[in-house]
Amino acid sequence: MTFYPEALRELVEEFQEVEDKRERLEMLFELADEIVELPADEWSDDTRVRGCQSEAHVRVSVEEGLVHVFGAADAKLVQGLMGVLSIAIEGLTPAQAVLIPVDFAQEMGLTNTLTPSRSNGFRNMYDKVMNEIRASVE
Amino acid sequence: MALRDQFPILQREVNGHPLVYLDNAATTQKPQVVLDAMNEYYSKSNANVHRAVHTLAGEATEGYESCRRKLKARFNAEKVIITSGTTEGINLVAHAWGRANLVKGDAIVLTEMEHHSDIVPWQMLAEERGVELRYVPVTQHFTLDMDAFHHALDGAKLVCVVHTSNVLGVRNPLEEIISASHKAGAKVLVDAAQGVPHSTVNFATFGADFMAFSAHKMCGPTGIGALLVQSETFEEMQPFMGGGDMIETVTTEGSTYQTNEHKFEAGTPRIAEAIGWSAALDWMESFDLDKEHARLVDIASWVAEELRSMGMTVYGRHEEHDAAVVSFLHPTINSEDMAHLLDSRGFAVRTGHHCAQPLLHRLGITGTVRASFYVYNTREEAEGLVEELKEITEKFA
Repeated sequence: MTFYPEALRELVEEFQEVEDKRERLEMLFELADEIVELPADEWSDDTRVRGCQSEAHVRVSVEEGLVHVFGAADAKLVQGLMGVLSIAIEGLTPAQAVLIPVDFAQEMGLTNTLTPSRSNGFRNMYDKVMNEIRASVE
Repeated sequence: MALRDQFPILQREVNGHPLVYLDNAATTQKPQVVLDAMNEYYSKSNANVHRAVHTLAGEATEGYESCRRKLKARFNAEKVIITSGTTEGINLVAHAWGRANLVKGDAIVLTEMEHHSDIVPWQMLAEERGVELRYVPVTQHFTLDMDAFHHALDGAKLVCVVHTSNVLGVRNPLEEIISASHKAGAKVLVDAAQGVPHSTVNFATFGADFMAFSAHKMCGPTGIGALLVQSETFEEMQPFMGGGDMIETVTTEGSTYQTNEHKFEAGTPRIAEAIGWSAALDWMESFDLDKEHARLVDIASWVAEELRSMGMTVYGRHEEHDAAVVSFLHPTINSEDMAHLLDSRGFAVRTGHHCAQPLLHRLGITGTVRASFYVYNTREEAEGLVEELKEITEKFA
């Protein structure tokens, strides 16, 4: 299995046990609260996730060597995916965080494709977060 | 065989539920005859066109050109340029006619209802040539502001207008637009991507100078479309893409060009796609399109009414000649979430800005959920959609 922190591994397995996509969506919607909210007055072009059909914003900070993610989105689905990403990387070191592959959303049965493209909001969010983590240690 | 049963894809399930395909304004599904025609071409006749004398080349050429003949017959058009789709058709007009006929200070009239495909090529030309762009506003009734349109015509050389809005389903008053534009001395380009799949157009009497549309929105393959041009306007167009097939002679000193539509079809064309489209055009003759359209508008109108009664906002109009498109927003459920929730029960709908950002900006929104119906959709599917939306509202609102 790919490199997943324990919390993410459990989450992926939990989602894989649920056959009904509607149920998986409901589970994901509930994870929307897991990410620390990025208040709307801090949204800017710098925080915007390109390619999302709805407004979606993320910001990463590294304090005392640990990664913290903040985010918010109009769509519960998108904010839920932020919640998953947050569960995965919150509190890891940058070196640990950047090892997490993008595959988890597909493995959880939440996205059909992970191909980078203008319209793939999840992929763009993942890339943005990872790029900001990498930039923070350069 | 019943019309719907001729579409193999409609037999499949999505997320454990029967597929209810309601994204027809984006692309339509293909009947078996289209799939068979393309498979048959690649299995038995694959060759390049207009070149070799061998049997396969003859069959391929005949197949490709039969598509053009059928388009000419269906639309009563003298000049039919095969393109990759509506977008290429419009870009071709911008390059082949616009560059040859528009100069700094000329004006092009567009509308806020246009798809990006009928905005961006003109913005690029305007930047290159110093041409002025004038946008006709959309009213709160989802129609073009015709008073503003008539004012905008003053000094205009070209009017570009969408036949039927892909967001609102509204069919524009094209006869009035074409007549007034011609009186003002302007050519007219009609983006008929959403119009032609729902109605037959007699291009000769319709009067537009250019009309572009795509095969894939009328049960044909993706990657192919047509640009219809009136004969006198055709003579005002200069070749855009150079290459094989479009020339008469080439020497190291220069080239001369074909005089027919091939002049604008450089390179190996979309042969299998033309053959597939040809089969789709034949197939479209197997039923009464007007009757089907009336049935679909009736369904769309009913869905729109149901959604309004559930407190949703519906953007658009569903009168006799409009398209069977229902764009809507739920008061509390985000449109992207709504589309995923519907998908989890097998319903395929579109969300987002539908490549019409200026229109959505005018409406004060950033996107809608859009259900669009086509000839294989049933009343039962529409009722299923409404029921599902009620269930989603109950659980997630």
